[in-house]
Amino acid sequence: MMAALVGMGSVCRRSLLLRSLLPLRPLIGQRDREPDRPPRLPASLHTSPVSHAAGSKGASLHWTAERVLSVALLGLGPVAYMYPVPAVDYAIAAALTLHGHWGLGQVITDYVHGEAKVKAANVGLFALSAVTFAGLCYFNYNDIGICKAVALLWSK
Amino acid sequence: MALLLRTVARHSVYASHLQFGPLCRHAVPMGTTAKEEMNKFWAKNANLNRPMSPHITVYRWSVPMVMSISHRATGIGLSGGISLFAVAALVLPGNFSNYLDLIHSMSYGPAFLAFSKFALALPVSFHTFNGIRHLRWDVGKGFKIPQVYRSGYTVLTLTLLTSIALASI
Repeated sequence: MMAALVGMGSVCRRSLLLRSLLPLRPLIGQRDREPDRPPRLPASLHTSPVSHAAGSKGASLHWTAERVLSVALLGLGPVAYMYPVPAVDYAIAAALTLHGHWGLGQVITDYVHGEAKVKAANVGLFALSAVTFAGLCYFNYNDIGICKAVALLWSK
Repeated sequence: MALLLRTVARHSVYASHLQFGPLCRHAVPMGTTAKEEMNKFWAKNANLNRPMSPHITVYRWSVPMVMSISHRATGIGLSGGISLFAVAALVLPGNFSNYLDLIHSMSYGPAFLAFSKFALALPVSFHTFNGIRHLRWDVGKGFKIPQVYRSGYTVLTLTLLTSIALASI
């Protein structure tokens, strides 16, 4: 029994290296194999599939980008407080809108089901984010800008 | 005789090796993506008009659970608020300081102003601090249950203190 398990163990390691299915010899028929090789069970192993038919790394990269953007937005906070200049205004407009866009995108993915509804929701979201970014840029350009606006709001 | 029997047995095992699904499965790449599988699930169950099992109505609410959905709720709320502000900037006449003066002239009183500042600061600080908590999880730290609760209470405390501090300036 133990020998069989050891056999399985060594095959496991080999499979992980080969990343493929390794059909094993059945236990029956011990006569004609090398006497020193441990007996193996008639089982096959399915290791974690690095399936080449699977999709791209897009989702994983998106996840990382979301976190990078979050950290960047965190950094922009104190920067906005210390340097309320137009460059920071536009940086905040972009970072904030994108962070919200991606966040709401995750909400849609979680709660909206069905191909048509998902597509419609994402189109709506894109429109909302576009208008939001446009409005914030307009505010930055034609009015006092985000940083100064917050400062003004808080001074009252 | 024994050799003959063993040979036959071996062949039959090889044959069954090819047939038995759960015992031996060949590594075939998945024909559908996770997304497709999920859509299939929803399509089938919506088609059959199946009711959904009670979940949030029966599961016992915990602090981490409430904080998690609050993170989402504050995110949606803040995003909506920003979008509203952006649309207002595009649509409404005049500029920002005018509107501020208008609100100020209505003389709601200092208590109201402090309260509104608190009401604005609360979702922002909660989402920010809980966001940092999330980022800590994303680098793999703080998953043990006592740690989850500890970081959660820290976030709540910081949120309250920060909101009060911001409301008072």
